[in-house]
Amino acid sequence: MTTRIEMKNVVKKYGTNTVVRGVDLKVEDGEVVAMIGPSGAGKSTVLRMMNGLETTTSGEILIDGIDIAKPHVDIDKVRAKIGMVFQHFNLFPNMSVLGNVTLAPTELGMMTKDEADKEGRRMLDSVGLADKVDAMPSTLSGGQKQRVAIARALTMHPDMMLFDEPTSALDPEMVGDVLGVMRKLAKQGMTMVVVTHEMGFAKEVADRVVFFEGGEIQESGTPEQVFEHPKNERLQSFLQKVLEA
Amino acid sequence: MRRHWGIIGLVVALGLGIFSGQVAKPEPVHAAEKTYTIAMDTTFPPFEFADKNNKRVGIDIDLIEAIAKAEGFKVQLKATSFNGAVQELQANQVDGVMAGMSITPERKKVFAFSDPYYQSGVVMAVRKNGNITKLSQLRGKRVAVKTGTASADYANSIKKKYGFKTITFDDSNNVYQDVISGNSAACFEDKPVMQYAIATGLGLKLGNMKMAMANDYGIAVSKAEPALVKKINAGLKKVRKSGEYNKIVEKYLGNGSQADTDKKAKETNDSSSTFFGLLKSNRGALMAGLGETVQLTIVGILFATLVGILVGLLGVVPNKLAQGIATTFIYIFRGLPLMVLALFIYTGVPMVIGTKIPAFVAGIITLTLNEGAYTAAFVKGGIGAVDVGQMEAARSLGLPWTKAMRRVILPQGLKIMVPSFINQFIITLKDTSILSILGLMELTQTGKIIIARNMEGFKIWTMVALIYLIIITLLTWLSNWVQRRIQA
Repeated sequence: MTTRIEMKNVVKKYGTNTVVRGVDLKVEDGEVVAMIGPSGAGKSTVLRMMNGLETTTSGEILIDGIDIAKPHVDIDKVRAKIGMVFQHFNLFPNMSVLGNVTLAPTELGMMTKDEADKEGRRMLDSVGLADKVDAMPSTLSGGQKQRVAIARALTMHPDMMLFDEPTSALDPEMVGDVLGVMRKLAKQGMTMVVVTHEMGFAKEVADRVVFFEGGEIQESGTPEQVFEHPKNERLQSFLQKVLEA
Repeated sequence: MRRHWGIIGLVVALGLGIFSGQVAKPEPVHAAEKTYTIAMDTTFPPFEFADKNNKRVGIDIDLIEAIAKAEGFKVQLKATSFNGAVQELQANQVDGVMAGMSITPERKKVFAFSDPYYQSGVVMAVRKNGNITKLSQLRGKRVAVKTGTASADYANSIKKKYGFKTITFDDSNNVYQDVISGNSAACFEDKPVMQYAIATGLGLKLGNMKMAMANDYGIAVSKAEPALVKKINAGLKKVRKSGEYNKIVEKYLGNGSQADTDKKAKETNDSSSTFFGLLKSNRGALMAGLGETVQLTIVGILFATLVGILVGLLGVVPNKLAQGIATTFIYIFRGLPLMVLALFIYTGVPMVIGTKIPAFVAGIITLTLNEGAYTAAFVKGGIGAVDVGQMEAARSLGLPWTKAMRRVILPQGLKIMVPSFINQFIITLKDTSILSILGLMELTQTGKIIIARNMEGFKIWTMVALIYLIIITLLTWLSNWVQRRIQA
C-alpha cells in the first residue's frame, strides 16, 4: 500500500498564536479519513495545508513522497492531483455549470474543449446533475452547488480528495444528496480526507477517524474504537455533547 | 512566484514605453525656414486679444508677423497666461515671449531681450463713477494687479507708503472686474492697455497719477537662441523704417480721438449681446474648444484606463515589490493636485530633461498619471472585493495564479468596477478643464478668452457649463449602455 499523504510534526503559528501543534498523520491510498473535533481545533487548517492553501511554520508535508514546502516544487502540479471541496462551494459565478467543471482541464491543456465537455457531462451525470449542465451557479440550490463542486474536482481525475466541512452550509434536506455522492466515491476506492460534523457519515464510511482538539490529534482509530470505546477524556466529552444535541 | 515577474516586467516595460514614446516625440522646429514658437498673453489689448470672430489680433501679433516676414522666418503663436508664458520660456517650451513685457534687469538675467519696441509706463485706473481718484485715498483699501507684471512690482513698491493691500489675478479681465465690482478700489496697469480698455467701453477711468516706471517693452527670447534676437532686431529696424510699425500701432490705438476708439470698440465687440446672439457669434470658437476637450478626454481616458489597470494588477500580484510599486504610484499621483502635476510636467520637467513637451502631450501625461492612480486604486479594490474563496478554489484545481486571475477573478472584479469606471470617465472629462492652465485651447480656455474680449462672463460661462453637461450626459448614457451589456 502506498502512502498518499504524510504529515510529519507539522506546526502552524499565527504570530504568537499556535493553531496546529505538531501533527503527525498518514493517509494511505484508498483510505477514507474523517477528521472530527470542536470548532477551532485546527482540523480545517490541517486539511488546507495538505494542498498548500495554508503554509506550515515547521514540519514536513509529503504528497506522494514529495515535500510540497520545497521551493522547486511546482505546487500547481501537486494541486492538479488533489481535488478540494469547500464548505461554501466556491463555484465560479461568472460561468455556467459546465464552464466551472471544464475550466481547469482545458486551461491546463489536459483535455481539448470537446474532451473536457464530454468528461464534464459524464461527471455531472454521476452526481445526478445532467440536466443542470447549462445552468448558472446562482440558480442552483446549495446541495446542487456542492455536487457541482465535487464534479468540478473529479473532472481533473484526482488521486485524492479533500473535503472541508462539505455539508455544514447546507439545509438539512440537502445533506443526504451530497453524502450520497461522497459515499459512492469512497466505495470506488477514492482516497479521501473529510473534515466533518456528520458523525453518522464518519461512522459508516470512514476507515479511520481522527479526533482533533487544541491543534493536536487527541485520538485516532477505526470508527468503532473512536465512537464505541473512546479512551481520551476530551473525546468522551465531545462525543457526549455531539450525541446529546 | 517566478511567473509573477513576467507580469511585473510587462507592466513596467509597457509603462516606460508609453512615457518614453510621448516624451521623445520629435519637434519639427529645425526645418529649412525656421519656425519659432512665441508665447503670448491671452488678453492684453491692444497688444493681444481676440476680435469678435475670435481671431487673435493685436499690436504684438501684427508686429511679430511683420518682423518674421521681413527676416524670412515663421512664427507660431501660442496664447497662454502671462505667467504661464514666462514659465514656458524658462522651461524652453517656447522660443520667446511677446506679451507687452517690460525689459527689467531681473528678467535680463534670465532671458535675452530684443531692442525695445514700445514705451509704456504704469498708470492707475479707478471706477468711473467712484470717489477714489488719488493714490492718497487708497489707505486701507485693496488694489488689483496682474501676477508677475511691472504694474504689480510698482504697486508693491508703494503699498507701504500709501497703506493699501494688493490682490493678484492671472487675467487682466479679472483685474478690471475686481475694480468695477468694487472689491478693489483701484488697479495698476500699463498705460496703452488701460487707455485701450477704457476707450472700448470698460467702466473705469484713469486715476490722478503721473505715469510711473516708464519702461520699454521687449521680446524675451531664450538665451539659447541668440540668432533669434538678432533676427528680431534686424526685422524691427526694417519695419520701423518702412513705416509699417506706425501703421500697426495706429491701427490699434487710433489717432487718439473718441470717435476713432469707439470705432475700434465696435470691431472688437460682439454684434449682439443676447444669449443666442453670443452663442451664434462664438459657435465656431466654442466648437473648436469642445473638439479639443473631447480629444483630451478620449485620449486621456484611454491611457489612464490602461495604466490604471496595469498598476492596479501590480497591486494584487502576490509579490511585495510589485505591491510596493503600485502603492507608491497611487500614493503619489492620487495625492498631487492635478494642477500642480500639470505644471510640474509642462514647465518643470523640460528644465531637467532639456526637451520640449508639447502642451497636449503634457496634458495627456497629467491625466494618465492622476486619473490612472484613481483607476488603479479601484481596480485593486475591485479585485480585492472578490471573495477569497474564488482564488482558493481556482488554485486548488491547479490553475496558476495568472490563469486564475484572468479567468476567474478579473471577470468578477470588472463587474464590481464598472460603476467606478463610469465615474472616473466623467471626472476625467471635467478635469480636462484644469489643463487650460497649460494654454490648451480646450473648452474652458476658450471660454476665458471669449470673456476676456466681451466681458460677458455670465452668459459665456453658462454656455460652457451647458456644453459640459451635454457631453457628460452623453458619456453617462454611453457608459450605462455598456454597463447593461456587460452585466446582462
